[in-house]
Amino acid sequence: MGTEITKVWDSLKRDTQERLNKVKHLVKEGKVVAAEDTVALLEGVIKPGDKVNLEGNNQKQADFLAECLCKVDSNKVHDLHMVQSVLALKSHLDVFEKGIAKKLDYSFSGPQAGRLAEFVRDGKLELGAIHTYLELFGRYYADLIPRVALVVGFEADKEGNLYTGFNTEDTPVIVEATKFKQGIVIAQVNKIVDKVPRVDIPGDWVDFVIESPKPFYIEPLFTRDPALITDTQVLMAMMAIKGIYGEYEVQSMNHGIGFFTAAIELLLPTYGEELGLKGKTCSYFCLNPHPTLIPAIEKGWVKSIHCFGGELGMEEYVKARSDIFFVGPDGSLRSNRAYCQAAGHYAMDMFIGGTLQIDKYGNSSTATANRIAGFGGAPNMGCDAKGRRHSSEAWLKCGEEYGIQGDLVGKMPRGKKLVVQMQETFKEKLEPAFVEELDAEQLQKNAGLDLPPVMIYSDDLTHIITEEGIAYIHKCADMKEKMAAIRAVAGYTKIGLQADEQETKVLRQKGIVKTPADLEIDITRANRSLLAAKNIKELVEWSGGLYSPPAKFRNW
Amino acid sequence: MLNWEKLQQLNFTDANARERAFGLVDKGSFTEFVSPRDKMSSPHLPVLGEAIEFDDGIVTGLGLLGSRPVFVISQEGKFIGGAIGEVGGAKMVKTIKLALQTYERVKKITPASYEKRLPAVIISFETGGVRLHEANAGLLAHAEVMDQIQDARGKIPIIAVIGSKVGCFGGMGFVAAATDIIVMSENGRLGLTGPEVIEQEMGKDEFDAANKALVFRTTGGKHKYIMQDCNFLVEDSVRAFRTQLKEIMNIPFPEIEKYRRIGSLQLVEEQLELVKSAVTIGPKDAQDMWKYYGNDNPQALADISPKEFLATVKRRERVI
Repeated sequence: MGTEITKVWDSLKRDTQERLNKVKHLVKEGKVVAAEDTVALLEGVIKPGDKVNLEGNNQKQADFLAECLCKVDSNKVHDLHMVQSVLALKSHLDVFEKGIAKKLDYSFSGPQAGRLAEFVRDGKLELGAIHTYLELFGRYYADLIPRVALVVGFEADKEGNLYTGFNTEDTPVIVEATKFKQGIVIAQVNKIVDKVPRVDIPGDWVDFVIESPKPFYIEPLFTRDPALITDTQVLMAMMAIKGIYGEYEVQSMNHGIGFFTAAIELLLPTYGEELGLKGKTCSYFCLNPHPTLIPAIEKGWVKSIHCFGGELGMEEYVKARSDIFFVGPDGSLRSNRAYCQAAGHYAMDMFIGGTLQIDKYGNSSTATANRIAGFGGAPNMGCDAKGRRHSSEAWLKCGEEYGIQGDLVGKMPRGKKLVVQMQETFKEKLEPAFVEELDAEQLQKNAGLDLPPVMIYSDDLTHIITEEGIAYIHKCADMKEKMAAIRAVAGYTKIGLQADEQETKVLRQKGIVKTPADLEIDITRANRSLLAAKNIKELVEWSGGLYSPPAKFRNW
Repeated sequence: MLNWEKLQQLNFTDANARERAFGLVDKGSFTEFVSPRDKMSSPHLPVLGEAIEFDDGIVTGLGLLGSRPVFVISQEGKFIGGAIGEVGGAKMVKTIKLALQTYERVKKITPASYEKRLPAVIISFETGGVRLHEANAGLLAHAEVMDQIQDARGKIPIIAVIGSKVGCFGGMGFVAAATDIIVMSENGRLGLTGPEVIEQEMGKDEFDAANKALVFRTTGGKHKYIMQDCNFLVEDSVRAFRTQLKEIMNIPFPEIEKYRRIGSLQLVEEQLELVKSAVTIGPKDAQDMWKYYGNDNPQALADISPKEFLATVKRRERVI
């Protein structure tokens, strides 16, 4: 005698319908809800314990929806599990303070990193995990599927078609995960229009659109003023170009944010050209539209750039350079963080960027003892992609040089991605950049994390550049040799002072350590006069007036 | 050794104090006084555990512009923001003193043709004013420099050159105003209270120091040129500044007085009129003044190159 099993297979769909019915009266026309009804809308569609995605990353922010979420009645909506790329706004933590949200899974926090650490310590917030972007996006399709997504775009029509344009960024990956698992998608836009310039998200994937009282917040995060680049950064950029870009003829790469890579970008049309490297390196990039790359683009160095996000002021320039950038039929850039991260992981031969601390083993981190900053996307780029199967000369050369290759795969040929960290031996306020133990380890103890938040692990790192020279640490035969190579470029830090002169000499003979002299770089030339553009105004001139820098970067 | 030819092409903004001192005078003519080899550094900084520089952030020396001996004072913004302490201040004072002694000697030796050999003083400013670590000595240095400038009045021209990164602020803003002639580039900034200090004291709504466009249109060379706070505006290169200085050397000395902005009852009255007019005009932004003086599209003026700017700009008309 078997009991009859009745199982409902569309409970999510039914639940969604029930929620939508509850808020029907708030919809004005098509899918439009008035800004003043937003709090009521959220109270209607969100249930306690829901996984809620709040869109925002290091550039654009669904700030109006974030503020409205803080205003919901915590008796009705509570214990939310927030899944979001970035914790950047005050409101992102206020929802925890007010008892509306309880748990957090995220990737990166900037200005709120200190407050986040306090919340974790005080038990106001249960921290799931800190992810890299791709890792978090992956979990949106497995165990962190949003029930409700609060996203942001420039424009929408009444049917819910979204124009996310230049700053499309994370929106597609979030909306797809939410909508196709029967979730609810709410979008704030700057303007509701009759016809959007192009459809970035189709209207039937969106449930509600709201015109926010003011345009969403956006940060010009990738603009570096050439006027602030120092002579030391110029020297390190010369080393990078000669000792790595030229040495390996790296064709595809990601440049991290910062003055080191800005200096490299501005030396390509001068020093790079002098070395005859044009066409041999820097053809393909995964990169936000860095203004400092304009001179190299104008001189014909670059073939293609795919972007994670946009950059304020670069709109018209990108539009006029559709051979280089990914531009829609309407003329504006289409960025996409998920695809760009995937390209950065699998299709790029090199990651190069700055860091804050490197330990004696070669692990590096940007974490400090009392701030839970997270990772963003750098580790996706700054690691060897084990699933990579296509080859390139740079990748193969780096693999051939890999000191422990034989121990790992025998005689089987295999490439290796170049992962380069640039760091002056001392940071601001004379803090040493080379340390016995990373602050990340102290943070792990202070905040009770499972792991110290390491940005790039030593086994992925291939090169370290300081003002003292380049350490080709992947060439080392074992950890002992690697530690000696790190000491050799660590200058006058405590780690550097332990370097043994004889040992360093041997490393230089082996080509594991190269000083500017070994690279035949004339250090008297290492000054700002080598930069293709020395200030923001010269970047505007290079762009033929197409680049329009935000006020905070204009000195005119 | 610095390459003089290359220095001429350098952006003035990027040139350090020594490069400016070498590059602003004729090729090969510069001799440095109290150079870093003499290790004349601040006695106060080591007491506070702070780093020193062997020139205390001020380069002084003598060069030539044509037949004219030129005494150069050049401040280094990279060392404690160019702030003036005891040693650097003394170097400034002594350099002007030497210029005055040279004036007396030249006049005595060649009384008929001394104007051809008339010394001049060039001060290349890059400073926020007093070095707070040695505040009393630094303040005193300001007063002594002012005193020397006053002594030089009617004898030798003192020319201010402002186009470096830090600008010229604080007490040194007063000192610059007390010189005979001011030459700026559009990257040069001149004022009393620096933007960050205004923001700190009065709030971001009063003055947003992170808004570079605001900072430069309020304190930058173009605004100062329109307002007649500076006499000449040049392009951002060492060569352009040097060319302008050479032209200034051709101005007959009695004319120099006309370039001054302060220093007589008449000039005080002119300044007071300006203050009065600010009340009646009620500008909300520096560019309101640009408009008031007949520049219909001020932002377009801000966007264009110095050359185009000079060709089209309308300035405040001076009454004298």
